Amino acid sequence: QRGPNTRGASAGGMGLEPLFQAWSYFRRRKFRECADLCSQLLERPPSEQGLDSEYTVFQAAWSLKTRALTEMVYVDEIDMDQEGIAEMILDENAIAQVARPGTSLKLPGTSQGGGPSPAVRPVTQSGRPITGFVRPSTQSGRPSTVEQAIRTPRTALTARPITSASGGYVRLGTASMLTNPDGPFINLSRLNLAKYAQKPKLAKALFEYIFHHENDVKNALDLAALATEHAQFKDWWWKVQIGKCYYRLGLYREAEKQFKSALKQQDMVDTFLYLAKVYLRLDQPVTAVNLFKQGLDRFPGEVTLICGIARIYEEMNNISSAAEYYKDVLKQDNTHVEAIACIGSNHFYSDQPEIALRFYRRLLQMGVYNCQLFNNLGLCCFYAQQYDMTLSSFERALFLAENEEETADVWYNLGHVAVGIGDLNLAYQCFKLTLVNNNNYAEAYNNLAVLEMRKGHVEQARALLQTASSLAPHMYEPHFNFALLSEKVGDLQRSYTAAQKSEEAFPGHVDTQQLLKQLKEHFAML
Amino acid sequence: PEVPILERKNWLIYLLYVRRDYEECKAVIKEQLQESQGLCEYAVYVQALIFRLEGKIQESLELFQTCSILNPRSADNLKQVARSLFLLGKHKAAIEVYNEAAKLDEKDWEISHNLGVCYMYLKHFNKARDQLNNALELNRHDLTYMMLGKIHLLEGEVDKAIGVYKKAVEFSPENTDLLTALGLLYLQTGDYQKAFEHLGNALTYDPGNYKATLAAGSMMQAHGDFDVALSKYKVVASAVPESPPLWNNIGMCFFGKKKYVAAISCLKRANYLAPFDWKILYNLGLVHLTMQQYASAFHFLSAAISFQPRMGELYMLLAVALTNLEDIENAKCSYEQAVALDRCNPLINLNYAVLLYNQGDKEGALSQYREMERRVSAVREGSTPDFDPEQMVEVAQKMGAALQAGESLVWTKPSKESKSKQRAAGPGKSSSTQQPLGSNQALGQAMSSAAGYGKTMQLPSGAGTPAMPAKSPSLPLEPEQDSETSPEENSAPAGDE
Repeated sequence: QRGPNTRGASAGGMGLEPLFQAWSYFRRRKFRECADLCSQLLERPPSEQGLDSEYTVFQAAWSLKTRALTEMVYVDEIDMDQEGIAEMILDENAIAQVARPGTSLKLPGTSQGGGPSPAVRPVTQSGRPITGFVRPSTQSGRPSTVEQAIRTPRTALTARPITSASGGYVRLGTASMLTNPDGPFINLSRLNLAKYAQKPKLAKALFEYIFHHENDVKNALDLAALATEHAQFKDWWWKVQIGKCYYRLGLYREAEKQFKSALKQQDMVDTFLYLAKVYLRLDQPVTAVNLFKQGLDRFPGEVTLICGIARIYEEMNNISSAAEYYKDVLKQDNTHVEAIACIGSNHFYSDQPEIALRFYRRLLQMGVYNCQLFNNLGLCCFYAQQYDMTLSSFERALFLAENEEETADVWYNLGHVAVGIGDLNLAYQCFKLTLVNNNNYAEAYNNLAVLEMRKGHVEQARALLQTASSLAPHMYEPHFNFALLSEKVGDLQRSYTAAQKSEEAFPGHVDTQQLLKQLKEHFAML
Repeated sequence: PEVPILERKNWLIYLLYVRRDYEECKAVIKEQLQESQGLCEYAVYVQALIFRLEGKIQESLELFQTCSILNPRSADNLKQVARSLFLLGKHKAAIEVYNEAAKLDEKDWEISHNLGVCYMYLKHFNKARDQLNNALELNRHDLTYMMLGKIHLLEGEVDKAIGVYKKAVEFSPENTDLLTALGLLYLQTGDYQKAFEHLGNALTYDPGNYKATLAAGSMMQAHGDFDVALSKYKVVASAVPESPPLWNNIGMCFFGKKKYVAAISCLKRANYLAPFDWKILYNLGLVHLTMQQYASAFHFLSAAISFQPRMGELYMLLAVALTNLEDIENAKCSYEQAVALDRCNPLINLNYAVLLYNQGDKEGALSQYREMERRVSAVREGSTPDFDPEQMVEVAQKMGAALQAGESLVWTKPSKESKSKQRAAGPGKSSSTQQPLGSNQALGQAMSSAAGYGKTMQLPSGAGTPAMPAKSPSLPLEPEQDSETSPEENSAPAGDE
């Protein structure tokens, strides 16, 4: 039979009081041990618990366990920004439907920052160049209709597979269920929130538990409302929490009100970030940038704020401004992974692979050790003509690849290296291996088609190009190649439709325009 | 009530069509077709024309077929049906219909012209030529000339093509396409004076002409006017920012001005945009040899060889790179390959001789030296000096002295004026159908670096062997000419995340 403290015995061996031990575990971020110890404390009969007048040991253990359980699954709310399909299309929060270029995040392709063109830098969705760092909240273009959203690959628009609506946020809650074999720790429906709201010390921990662990926004909001009333609306923390709840519920204007009111009470970096998030969701990037700059006046040199500005500029395709701000980030914090990666990829695509190599090597120095980094290192080494490091980097990337998509990426880049050394057979094998690992790799289909075309296999090339263009309608290369191919054999109608699609994907492409002009002349001639 | 006349609104349809007011035009056509229950031939005809302009060839074909059912005796309708078939890529069917049309109307240049073009797509060049000549007899037309010239080029007859284009330019002297094409052909045959004239004309009529600018720029580069060429390129660079040939030529301009780092970055951009272009790879190899970065040079040259295996100079440069990478065996193999592939370039032999000499193989060096002499004299007689003699002569004289073959020297140092004459004549490749590339001076440069290598290597202790001179490159290096636009398949490397 389990004694009152079997585990406490070991703790007792050191002569520590269980609650103190639990608290110590918590401070050392050993949440599992802390929670277990607290459970034992809570199982004790009430008589054993020393009765303090206001704040009992029972309450202390209860609160500590709540916090431990929350911390196990805690994810910073600022970086949690998932938009499901429903939010992207069915939700109309932006005021201006046709905004002026440069004032909206929803108009891709309005590049005024002089970034590299799609001929140099690959794009994810129409017009948005691929970024150097993928965050959970990375948006790369948005679908225009529900049908289109469902048909495109699930990871094409956000960093993780998109869901139909992001109200769920369930994955965090489900993870924690396993920790309690005998049901949830707190039964929310039996809780008398009004009673807890009277005790601020308990209420804060309870709120975080409800919000982050249980993902029950409605109850959390109830509790927060009662608590802020109890605090006579003088606690900025409760206001921010209410704002968070509103934001989750999709009530952006209400959330904005709460955050603003909290900012009036107390300047906090967090509040600035939350408010900027609201503005971005309302599609007002200029307001968000102004807010960030205001925040920078209060907190000069705050990295997260500068980084926020850089992200907004990057989303608006203003790459050169984004790079400036990322450099500011690096001046403050020279180990900022996101800034290093973004600047690195930026240099790579603007003909400076040597400098990109230095940035990526910096990441390596800092102890980042994953497939993508070695993949990028290999590419940079090859294009910077550091041939001794190239293949070993790719080998390591293959070794570190965690899923088949990553393996496909590495093989694809190896195919490029093979093209670079002129070994087309090797390139062919590499692209084939890419497709084996990831059957929906449009770039590999396109490049295979080019290789087939060099061998003179027109029909195979045509089929591959068709596959590529159906998989990735936002890439101009397969469309343009198909148009060229069709034009060569004389099928001008297909050539015309393909060239039109190519122009849609990359409006500034000179060769497409020439081809279109030539075709139109053919059509106009009697 | 009056009886409705079938064709009474044709004037309106025509007017709207030629004003390009297609929406309005379609509305009127619809109305007219409803009134006439689809029997109005002209309405159907114009509707088909509009469809064709919109790129809907299949629909236009069906409508033209309706037209030819409505009026089977009209050659025009048949011509349009055939044209639609041609646009769909069904050339055989188009030829049949055109033949039908030709029976109805024998004096139509369009039918002959289009028949010629169809035959060209089917690779029946003889028939195509006859048809196009026929078209010219009936009615001269720029397009017909263009197609005829194209056929001659496809068959490899450059002289005939020049003749055709000449006539065409006489006929319409302001057509920039014709002027450019003729200029390029002259460039290919080495007639620089005329090429310059025609390209200049083309540029006068159309200053932003990309092809003509590129060709004119490459000619200026060939004569060493790098700054002028760069300013020419600057004009088109903003219009065509992602053209591999343009960046290649700009890179070689910088190379000529000894701005090697800029040259490499331009060439690498070109190579990034067109990974399959062997000329860019060749130039990259050359520049890296000049920079004495032999590992990169080897890499680019071997890539160029795998895209263009039948080229002596590539193997020679590869051998120079290999010599510097201390892989003498492979360098020898590469030289053998180069000697076998190229029959008229004396530099290969000279470089080979230098290598053999440095290895202590005097006999082999002597035989290569003789071969070089033979080639030099052959080139003399052919009076197309494919190399700049000065630098080569110097190395060769030292070499000859070292090999005690000095008496039989076939040349003396050319005087200044003859040299400048040769310079004006410029290089012209006699053998190849491809564009002349690389160049004597560039190769001379590569050679001199090989000679420089010879100095650092300990020479075999012979009797009074003079050290090989390590000449610094004192001559302007010529770029290759690359004037054709090559819309390459682009495939940017992805997978960066």
